[in-house]
Amino acid sequence: MPEVPITIVRRLPPAVVLVLAATVVGCGPARVAGPLPDAAAAAALRASLTSGESAGAAAEEVVSGTGWGSLTGRFVFVGTTGERRVLTVSKDIEVCSKDGMKLYDNSLRLDPASNGLADVVIFVRKSRRVKNPVSTEQLVFDQKNCEFLSPVFAARVGQPIDVRNSDPIGHNTNVSGSSFNQLIPAGDGTIFTPNRETGMPVSVTCNIHPWMKAYAVFRDDGYVAVSAADGSFTISDLPAGEPLEFQVWHARSLGPNGGLGLQKPELKWSSKGRFEITLEPDQVRDLGTLEVPAAALGG
Amino acid sequence: MIITTRLSLLALLVLLPLASGCGPTPPASFRLNMVEAISPSAEKDSISAEQALTPAQEKQVATILAAMFGTPDTPTCLPETGLDPAKLVLAAGPVRSDIVGRKNGLYREHCVHCHGITGDGMGPTAAFLNPYPRDYRPGVFKFKSTERASKPTHADLYRVLHEGLAGSSMPSFALLSPVQIDALVEYVKYLSMRGETELALMRYYFELDEEDEGKLPETREFLVEEILEPIAEKWASAEDQEIEVPEMPEDLDLAASIAKGRELFHGDKANCVKCHGVTALGDGQANDYDDWSKNIYKIEEKLKTLADSEPDSEERQWIAEFERVLAGDALTPRTIPPRNLRQGIYRGGRRPLDLYYRIHAGINGAPMPAAKGTVAPEDIWHIVNYIRSLPYDFDGELGADRAVAAQPGPAGRLVATQED
Repeated sequence: MPEVPITIVRRLPPAVVLVLAATVVGCGPARVAGPLPDAAAAAALRASLTSGESAGAAAEEVVSGTGWGSLTGRFVFVGTTGERRVLTVSKDIEVCSKDGMKLYDNSLRLDPASNGLADVVIFVRKSRRVKNPVSTEQLVFDQKNCEFLSPVFAARVGQPIDVRNSDPIGHNTNVSGSSFNQLIPAGDGTIFTPNRETGMPVSVTCNIHPWMKAYAVFRDDGYVAVSAADGSFTISDLPAGEPLEFQVWHARSLGPNGGLGLQKPELKWSSKGRFEITLEPDQVRDLGTLEVPAAALGG
Repeated sequence: MIITTRLSLLALLVLLPLASGCGPTPPASFRLNMVEAISPSAEKDSISAEQALTPAQEKQVATILAAMFGTPDTPTCLPETGLDPAKLVLAAGPVRSDIVGRKNGLYREHCVHCHGITGDGMGPTAAFLNPYPRDYRPGVFKFKSTERASKPTHADLYRVLHEGLAGSSMPSFALLSPVQIDALVEYVKYLSMRGETELALMRYYFELDEEDEGKLPETREFLVEEILEPIAEKWASAEDQEIEVPEMPEDLDLAASIAKGRELFHGDKANCVKCHGVTALGDGQANDYDDWSKNIYKIEEKLKTLADSEPDSEERQWIAEFERVLAGDALTPRTIPPRNLRQGIYRGGRRPLDLYYRIHAGINGAPMPAAKGTVAPEDIWHIVNYIRSLPYDFDGELGADRAVAAQPGPAGRLVATQED
């Protein structure tokens, strides 16, 4: 029998044991331990929740304003943009990239003449008075050439939206957070009536064509605007005489939840993309040109 | 010499487990949703370092949840949840017998190893299963008799537990008594409402005003009326949201119905073919995710775009922390293949009625869209009949009508080739 070097025999088993033991004990990535609840505070809070009493409930503020005003302005992009990204078209090529047509990332649309920034959403976070009833007029949200024709779309809760498909192929339209995910046959449409307010805009996608993407925002009071191709926006019939907090959003913004923070100290424009204004009756408040630096949109 | 070696081996064996911890087990506690805590947003591609919760905010969420829902050993529920506390007691806590010898702690006996103590679908076995176990926390369930946006009814969840989910790791619990299954269904609803409340609380920090100083109001108006009641209301209203299914016509000519169903399946209206493939093998659209995986996938993609942020910046630290959270608290995202309809295995049940529900409402949480409103009820029945015929259609019709020649592939699988 050939002599086995005894040192190896002796050293190997402990090594093997170590490895095996470590395997048994488990060396996967550790789960991150979140904080434990404060038991005493939880018990006290539970008591206050079940007794129906709550400390520090603020009295409802009295609505004092009368009349209506409007807010207007124009977003302008400052800086340079990178190349527009070409989207990878992997399905229905005979329609979606017909005759070598290319589809581009639509998340940053500028007016070539003035650098006006389109597709900025601005809405009132909370209003106490609303002037107009919900319109029953149908809005149209269309898709053609495997693109959503409205990259950013706003509607009032309760207003019917005709989700159309102008392509010769089927799409399915999936509005995140609303559980609307519906087949839209070629050349057809279906009515979607949002029944719940979104906070920030939510994404709209098509599961058949994964590159398709748009955003939608639905507000109870309808005080929402999407900046037009030249970057301008107007929200009218706003309640005057009460502080209105506006939220501004852009798909490419690096701020939290897409909130667009601007350097506007006179409006106390926050990094979350919020500012507050109180309108006078019949006032048209013009914010003028609102410069959006390239850095705020990730270059 | 040999004895020394053996001794050292023995010592190693004894010492190692000791070193890795054999102390008294701490009481079971719910885990905070750490992925959400670091990116509290419904839209995971617009997250940023700025919105991550602070440790104090995480602590506040944990404390509010403990106040509203208790602990895994002693669950509590506010009357607004509509949950039955007696059922929760039967399902919760460690496995034990009560004073009359009745088995308690059913969730930990039967469910916890896959679905996890928090119902996050991340029990110890979860990573080895495909599909992953359901994460109850977003409150989204796939297999139900209600409209897409609605919660499942009590009977829907009961059925999932009783029958299991064919083609997944979810077994049948038909050997449990109806009382026990009822208790577990109630506990699943409890974990789901708790998880939904947690999501709502975490996402609410962004909605706070400056003067709130980053702290959620701990009032009944906010916690119960604004956060909990809308969640509980959706569960309570599920029983009224059942899909109305017209009877399949009695004098139906089955062959004609199957032929009509085939036409619809391949047609532009129902468009089933886009994802399930011309051969119905489920090979049409293979690169999509379900909502649970898609969130993690989106986060990973977002973090990649931020990879060149400044070293030592706040963003860099957030990314590093995020990677740690993802490694420990998220399952690797997996694409969701459309069902292979040639196998005759349907997760949500094989009754014609089950297939009708799936086509009418789609599958919530999955890419499968709703045909409601687009495809007429009788046409849905035709598609159901066609789908039910597919597993038995070995040599005749396999895609022949779509100018597709089917031939056995290398591994005996059917491979379709397009003949243009």
